[in-house]
Amino acid sequence: MNPRVLVQLARQLGSLTLTLFLSSVVIFCAVLLTPGDPVSAFAGGTRPTPEMIAAIRAEHHLDDPVWLQYLHWAGGVFTGDLGTSYVYRTDVVDLIAPRVGITVLLVAYAVVLIAVFGVGSGIVAATRGRIADRAVLIATSIGMALPTFVVAILLIWIFARVLGWFPVYGAGEGFLDELYHLTLPAISLAVLYIAYLSRITRGAVVGQLHSEHVETARVRGIPRARIFRRHVFLNASPQILAVSGATVAGLFAVSAIAEQAFGIGGLGSLLTEAAARKDVPVVQVISLLLVVVFVVLNALADVAIAIIDPDSVKPRRTA
Amino acid sequence: MSVAQLAGGRVSTALRRAARRDPLVVAASIVMLGIAVMAVFGPVLAPYDPDALYVGPISGPPTLAHPFGTDDLGRDILSRVLVGAGPSVLGPIVVVTISSVLGAAIAIGAAWFGGAVDAVSSRLIEVLFAIPGLVLAVLAVAMFGKGLLAPAVALSIAYLPLVARLIRALARQELAKPYVAALRVQGVGGAAICFRHLVPALLPALFAQATVGFGYAMLDLAAISFLGLGAQPPASDWGVMIASGQPALLTGAPEQAVIPAAFVVITVLAVNILGARVTAWAEGGDR
Amino acid sequence: MTAPVHGPVTASVHGPVTAPVLELDRLSVRAAIDGEARTLVHDCTIRVAPGEAVGLVGESGSGKTLSARAVAGLLPEGFSTGGAIRIEDEDLAALPSSRLRDLRARRIGMVFQSPRAHLNPLRTIGDFMTEALVSVAGAKPDAAAARAADLLAEVGIPDPSRRLRQRPGELSGGLLQRVMIASTLAMDPRILLADEITTALDVTTQEEVMAVIADLRRNRDLAMLFITHDLALAGAVCDRVAVMQHGRVIETLRASTMRADASEPYTKRLMAAALPEEERGAGADSTTGAAAPVLAVKDLRKVFSVRSERGFGTDRFTAVDGVGFELRAGSALGIVGESGSGKSTTARIVCGLETADAGTVTVMGDDWSRPARGAAERRRRARVAQMVFQDPYQSLDRRRTVGQTLAEAIGVHRPGLRRAELRERVDALLGTARLDVALAERRPRALSGGQLQRVAIARALAAEPEILVLDEAVSALDVTTQVEILTLLDGIRRETGVALLMISHDLETVRRLCDHVVVMRAGAVVEQGVIAEVLDRPQAEYTRTLLDSIPREGWVPRRRLAAARTTPLPTVATAATRTIRRGDLHE
Repeated sequence: MNPRVLVQLARQLGSLTLTLFLSSVVIFCAVLLTPGDPVSAFAGGTRPTPEMIAAIRAEHHLDDPVWLQYLHWAGGVFTGDLGTSYVYRTDVVDLIAPRVGITVLLVAYAVVLIAVFGVGSGIVAATRGRIADRAVLIATSIGMALPTFVVAILLIWIFARVLGWFPVYGAGEGFLDELYHLTLPAISLAVLYIAYLSRITRGAVVGQLHSEHVETARVRGIPRARIFRRHVFLNASPQILAVSGATVAGLFAVSAIAEQAFGIGGLGSLLTEAAARKDVPVVQVISLLLVVVFVVLNALADVAIAIIDPDSVKPRRTA
Repeated sequence: MSVAQLAGGRVSTALRRAARRDPLVVAASIVMLGIAVMAVFGPVLAPYDPDALYVGPISGPPTLAHPFGTDDLGRDILSRVLVGAGPSVLGPIVVVTISSVLGAAIAIGAAWFGGAVDAVSSRLIEVLFAIPGLVLAVLAVAMFGKGLLAPAVALSIAYLPLVARLIRALARQELAKPYVAALRVQGVGGAAICFRHLVPALLPALFAQATVGFGYAMLDLAAISFLGLGAQPPASDWGVMIASGQPALLTGAPEQAVIPAAFVVITVLAVNILGARVTAWAEGGDR
Repeated sequence: MTAPVHGPVTASVHGPVTAPVLELDRLSVRAAIDGEARTLVHDCTIRVAPGEAVGLVGESGSGKTLSARAVAGLLPEGFSTGGAIRIEDEDLAALPSSRLRDLRARRIGMVFQSPRAHLNPLRTIGDFMTEALVSVAGAKPDAAAARAADLLAEVGIPDPSRRLRQRPGELSGGLLQRVMIASTLAMDPRILLADEITTALDVTTQEEVMAVIADLRRNRDLAMLFITHDLALAGAVCDRVAVMQHGRVIETLRASTMRADASEPYTKRLMAAALPEEERGAGADSTTGAAAPVLAVKDLRKVFSVRSERGFGTDRFTAVDGVGFELRAGSALGIVGESGSGKSTTARIVCGLETADAGTVTVMGDDWSRPARGAAERRRRARVAQMVFQDPYQSLDRRRTVGQTLAEAIGVHRPGLRRAELRERVDALLGTARLDVALAERRPRALSGGQLQRVAIARALAAEPEILVLDEAVSALDVTTQVEILTLLDGIRRETGVALLMISHDLETVRRLCDHVVVMRAGAVVEQGVIAEVLDRPQAEYTRTLLDSIPREGWVPRRRLAAARTTPLPTVATAATRTIRRGDLHE
């Protein structure tokens, strides 16, 4: 890759890092904006004595200036000290760590479904004639109106009462059993995003199919499959990659709903529970994690796009 | 023939012609009209008090007296769905209104002034975009407690980047067109160019985006209620009804969850169909 | 067809006697547009003999591009053809699709108007050049690469092996068009379909490309179907010329004698538009030479910052460098130059759309070098200088009727005018632009390009300006419409005494309207003076090159790549404003 592209790429990654930093500030501010005093939140229902207040303030660095509190909190990403839960009085890290695995597995499962069926149906719609296009259009229209909680209750109804092929509750034990248990939750997560990605893929592919450079390839007698691979799909892929960061970060958030519906004790159900009990420190850290996911995936997507299309990081006009 | 009859006849032929040309859009419009009527007149139309317990059997199947059946506390599901329409529609309207107005204002400002204003507002938009809407809403609940107000405000902010990105791009495109340069050369003032030419040019796209956003907002708010963080039982909010109807799925009374879910899906489907149509119309204006 | 038959019997004006390499036999193209079946090309019959070049000339909507696309199999979905298309006596309609693809790949080479859009931006030039050789002809990649380098050398691209590793974004439009031509040669085609291939290029680059094509045709006995809106160009490079109008071939002429042979009034109109009218002697009035200057530009300089190719820092791109000229009251001054010459930036500075970095703009004694301060000064300047832009559709607000647009322009200078008076003024302006007053109710979409440009002129005249700046104001229009607009502008100048500052890439357009001319290149003035002197006795080498590159009878295009630009211009919004003339299909 030539140095110009690398420099530009570095600039984009720097910009993402700045976004990460500013987002973390926004999330950190949540504690400051929360009505009520963190001290009483830590004290729980009891009426703290002045000594207890002082001890709590010291333990949680509440007497430090705000910027130092921020640094302490954000630095926790590296030191593993991400603050203390109001509710459980334990380190947030200890709450989160055991629950990350199952949620990551659930989201990964959904991502596979989305990539296969979303991109696949988008390509089918764009290339397999009017009837296929119509069929996919109708399916995705309905899919875009099927949120996770609706798919979840439909699946529970159908599989619990009628079919019984898949378990409708819990996360299972061991990898294969977990996958088996996560099938319905993953489907419920994926449906809306499959429809969304299908639309994006179709649009990108149709745009390329009608592009002038594909016309050139056709006149030159290049075989259809080769045109599709090397000129249509390749050129469409940056558009698909561009939405991947936001999509996966969104999946982590929405997994809260699937976990709730199917009784899975993952990150999402922790998020819900923490929010319901006003456990701001826990919600903050999970939010920050999702922003990190968003930024990291966008960075990966940027690199992938730069490899496919160095001109996407072309110098831009400044004045 | 009376004037009313004449007008009625004309309206019905116009409707029939529209129905033939674009049946989906007409169907979607009729659905939205029905939802709007429910949202406004729901409490009047409800045959029972939605919160009255044991007006029918516990988890009763659909009957003539209770067309959608009754829930686990013997409440009439039809009445609850009718009354639930109001808050279920009002929330998204608030979200869309706030995000559209603020998003468009920021976007137009960024495109108009460029330079530092553009850089700062674009950065702000990027930051907000990095936090998923649902997470921002959940964070708001953690801060301010359960209820629909905090998530609605949070979603308004979370949707702002979607509006602002689109409108900023379109505004820049519009400002680069030679007719804007022509207006400047004619000596037309900045305010006149902005409010008499630029803003009207952006309104169709803004409206299209608002329609699409309405559907998303409805899903997100229902999800918040489903999680138990939004409207609280015994409120007859559709999301709450789906959540509290979930256990009955396993006991053979699916209508408690499925019927409110169907209302959510049908409303969002109708909005999406109209949204696609409005978007096509907004883009068509550019050709 | 009444044209007399001249010349050798092997190629009568109706077509060759030997088997044609390409034959359109009563070709028709139909399409369903808004549910209504329409025939866009009627009974088009054209034969191209081996080695022969046939021009297909017409204005937008004439069906010339559709005919070529039918041959290449590029008609959009929903289009159908009637009649027959034969390549070396094989009827395309009778072939199975795999055979058809192979025949097209091996026998036809097609080159398009915009090479940049027609090359995959993500793949290297080498990949593009070798793809057909590898996937259709089954060549080994190494052999294909060697052949690709040879072909690039054949079309005169220096350092071909380096170019093979580059992507389209790194090459200038002229070079890309050569790459495109070279790529068609890979399969040794019998005929080249050239669809407006030089329309998006500067005249000197056009000459380059045409010279390359002339060499290839001579060396390879390559036939060509040359589609263009430019009758003079077609006449200069083709053996025969078919003129199309409203989807029909109205006459076919031998190129060498076409001026004498043309019998259709439409063809004569096209010729009158395309060929210089020396006898009109331009718009020069002997009196204007002595008039006071309304506009004086001195040492004008404008530098844009462009983010550097290296990826960090900025490069400085000098768009205008020390430009100076005077425009006298009631006269017409042309500024001529190719893309990147800085002519449009100069115009925009005069009208206050850009601010100069150095130099002065003096208008009727006032200093306009600084941007206007406040609304009152902006309006005062607007009363003096007005502008007409290139793109007629985009220069009007599409949501407003013509009447509303004009009323707004009038209202700026005369607020509080009563409705009836306003209406009267609008009608008067429409009259000045020779437009029907009924058009006041229409929106831009319902108007033709020529009508839109008349509206733009009327709007500019609403302020009753002293100076009218025309930034490529006719270059997006069909040639016959161009002549009408130029005639209108000349009439307006004579009636109202408004001074014209005309920016154009086209010397002939400037010659029709202007009495003085400034020739610009790369931001600087190369030469200026009275039009007849500069154009008939050019002093600067560059002016001579510009004049030589204009196609005309007996024109022999020459290669001069050494002087041409090989990398794209930096992307500055104001640079390279010349729009691409869009093909018939997209109109």
